[in-house]
Amino acid sequence: MIGAAELAAIRAAHPRVFRRSAAERLRLALAWTLFLAVLAFGLWRVLPGWEAFAAGLGKLGFLVRFMIPPTSGGHLGAILHGLAETLAMAFMGTLLAAVAAVPLGFAGARNVMPVRLLHFGLRRLFDGLRGIDSLIWAILFVAAVGMGPFAGILALAVPDTGTLAKLFAEAIENVEKRQVEGIEAAGSNAVERARFGILPQVLPVMLSHLLYFFESNTRSATILGVVGAGGIGLQLAERIRLDDWQEVAFIILLILATVAVIDWVSGRLRRRIIAA
Amino acid sequence: MLEIIGLTRRFGTVTAVDAVTLAIPHGQMMGIIGRSGAGKSTLLRLINRLVEPSEGRIVFEGRDVSALRGRALRDWRTDCAMIFQQFNLVQRLDVLTNVLVGRLNHRGTLTSLLKLFTAEERAAAIRTLDRFDLAEAALQRADTLSGGQQQRVAIARALMQEPRLILADEPIASLDPRNGKVVMDALRRINREDGLTVLCNLHTLDTARQYCDRIVGMRAGRVVFDGIPAQLTAPIVRDIYGMGEEDLDRAETVTGTGLEAASRPRIAA
Amino acid sequence: MAAIAGDAAVARFEERHRALRRRKALTTAIGTVLFAAAFLASAIVGELDPARLAAGVPNILDYVHRTLPAISARQPLTDIGEWYWAIDVWLLLMLDTVLMGLVGTLAGAGVALLFCFHAAANLAPNRWSFWVARRGFEFARTVPELVFVLIFVFAFGPGPFAGVVAIAIHYAGALGKLFAEVNENADPRPIEALAAAGAGWSETMRFAVLPQVLPNFLSYGLLRFEINVRAASVLGIVGAGGIGEELYLVVRRFIYPDISAIVLLILVTVALIDMGCERLRHSLIEAGPARATR
Repeated sequence: MIGAAELAAIRAAHPRVFRRSAAERLRLALAWTLFLAVLAFGLWRVLPGWEAFAAGLGKLGFLVRFMIPPTSGGHLGAILHGLAETLAMAFMGTLLAAVAAVPLGFAGARNVMPVRLLHFGLRRLFDGLRGIDSLIWAILFVAAVGMGPFAGILALAVPDTGTLAKLFAEAIENVEKRQVEGIEAAGSNAVERARFGILPQVLPVMLSHLLYFFESNTRSATILGVVGAGGIGLQLAERIRLDDWQEVAFIILLILATVAVIDWVSGRLRRRIIAA
Repeated sequence: MLEIIGLTRRFGTVTAVDAVTLAIPHGQMMGIIGRSGAGKSTLLRLINRLVEPSEGRIVFEGRDVSALRGRALRDWRTDCAMIFQQFNLVQRLDVLTNVLVGRLNHRGTLTSLLKLFTAEERAAAIRTLDRFDLAEAALQRADTLSGGQQQRVAIARALMQEPRLILADEPIASLDPRNGKVVMDALRRINREDGLTVLCNLHTLDTARQYCDRIVGMRAGRVVFDGIPAQLTAPIVRDIYGMGEEDLDRAETVTGTGLEAASRPRIAA
Repeated sequence: MAAIAGDAAVARFEERHRALRRRKALTTAIGTVLFAAAFLASAIVGELDPARLAAGVPNILDYVHRTLPAISARQPLTDIGEWYWAIDVWLLLMLDTVLMGLVGTLAGAGVALLFCFHAAANLAPNRWSFWVARRGFEFARTVPELVFVLIFVFAFGPGPFAGVVAIAIHYAGALGKLFAEVNENADPRPIEALAAAGAGWSETMRFAVLPQVLPNFLSYGLLRFEINVRAASVLGIVGAGGIGEELYLVVRRFIYPDISAIVLLILVTVALIDMGCERLRHSLIEAGPARATR
């Protein structure tokens, strides 16, 4: 469709259409090399040998076969109690975190907290709390208050306090100033300003965050039992240790169903809160 | 020769295109006029098969194309290139790639996905862009161009398909008069120089009279006029639009493509 | 006549207003009762016990106190060296953990990228592939990572590979959903243009959709990398290797200063990655995606 002479002429007139500039090619080559090198190194560190891999795949196939059909194996009572514990942990953990996070959030907001140093310190404290995973907190609390769901509640509440306080503080920093000034002009003190000027604006945001955290905590709470902090995770880890794969499958399906229901309910509630 | 025989398309209870029968000889430049919602846009989309016909047939050079599937359907779409009111370029890609997109059906999937276009294809894209004075913009992002330039890029993309006919759906409705003229001139050029059949939906009667060999008027999905521009008299205009030409200029509601939302494109797998 | 009509309107309004108020009061009452019931039930089932908490608080403080390293003003560097006595081993384990997060992130993002077009309602080539992709992502997202790790440790043996697979699966689900939502907001006009030009489905995705969505994809992907590293750091607790395994070991052996040393190491590493990703995201957003797609 195009002659060699014409091709050469177009090539000469528009070299960049056919080939990137040398600098760009070099940059691309470097970026790709770096990326592939990191990936190759990572794979080399984490991949098992071929034999282990093949054996593992075979084992996985067996597992799936052993999982069918899922049954409760006559332990329905214990399993359901574990599930109830999980939900209780998620609910209480979120609630405790919320109760602690509201005053902390106000204290950590720049427009409420005038002392720069305190504001900065609080923000770093929030980062520290949420930087440690709830599973690590669970290990700590099991050591401190003993095994059981109570340790799980605390393990969920502490990192969530950090995250929620940070989110609340950000929401408070983003409130509309005029409304707060209106309250201030009426001669109010700091607490009244927070209560009537800021809280009405941020309450829907806070509630929506809380529901989202309840959803996410339901998921987290299912696994804390692995380290002894109560909930269905203990049942699950036990079954895996004992090779009861039918019951493992039953518990996983139960978790899936519960999480799906909670997501659905909380999603509807959140939409209603945002719409209102 | 493109033959449309009893072509009908219903959306629910609405009949967008109602038993349209037309024969378009090779190399003709045909304009389609009518109010918004008259079925002009759906008619073009039916021909390209972006919209499936409810009834009727589309026959191109003796071959029925109204029931093609898969590969054959994609080949037919390559044969009838479309030009859109909103240009429909990929804004974040450069002009060159937007033009090369017209070659996708001519090449292997894997080399396409990796964007390995050959030197010949790149040269052909530049040559085509050069016809519309856009070769220098080849490496710019499409969203840096003006509307008129973007529509000319879209025409270049259409030409890269090496099509047999061009279906232009309100190509100048989103452009100012000056750019509209540039784009219409470009369409006439490819009609005259490349001998391509051009079917063009237009919302201004002047443009249709000035550029088209033949004008088809549609109302409520039916063809109510079919003739040369000179035959388009005032009573006929009133019949097509339900108002006189002088009112038409004031009522700027005749543009738009009312059925665009209803006719989502089907992507051939 | 008009007055009577007006009275009727007022009466109707009053009636409606009362009904609305009744309904609102009822909703509030039901909500309060439900909340109280949930609170009571959770308190009982969750063994919420202020007395135990009160008794536990000294324990917690004591525990934290014990983990604090002894750093004297006289020779602080030597003491810090003492505290981080196994820094070489820990750094290597931390590297494993970061790599676990990285490979898991890349693999998960790859899977999400491959199937997110099927999971978008406006792009799916057919109904069943849409359904399969959607349900697959949902499943992968809902099962907690730790459950996957438990299963994969059983199959592949202890080690980071189980963690990588678990992170990849969970991440594919979470990211796949986000990607599909981005896809559903893509401009339909280029898609129509490519279909009209006779391009196939995969080519349409590549040229009409991907250039539009890629910047968002990258931004979402980087956002979650830090979270994945944090997750990887605890997966070791159930046998996925890396720093988490070492942490669990020192906790169970009550080697207190090591606990704080490792926790601090994790915190600093995750914070550094967070900052790095943030900078990368900003530079990507500023540079624009033209370069990334060409």
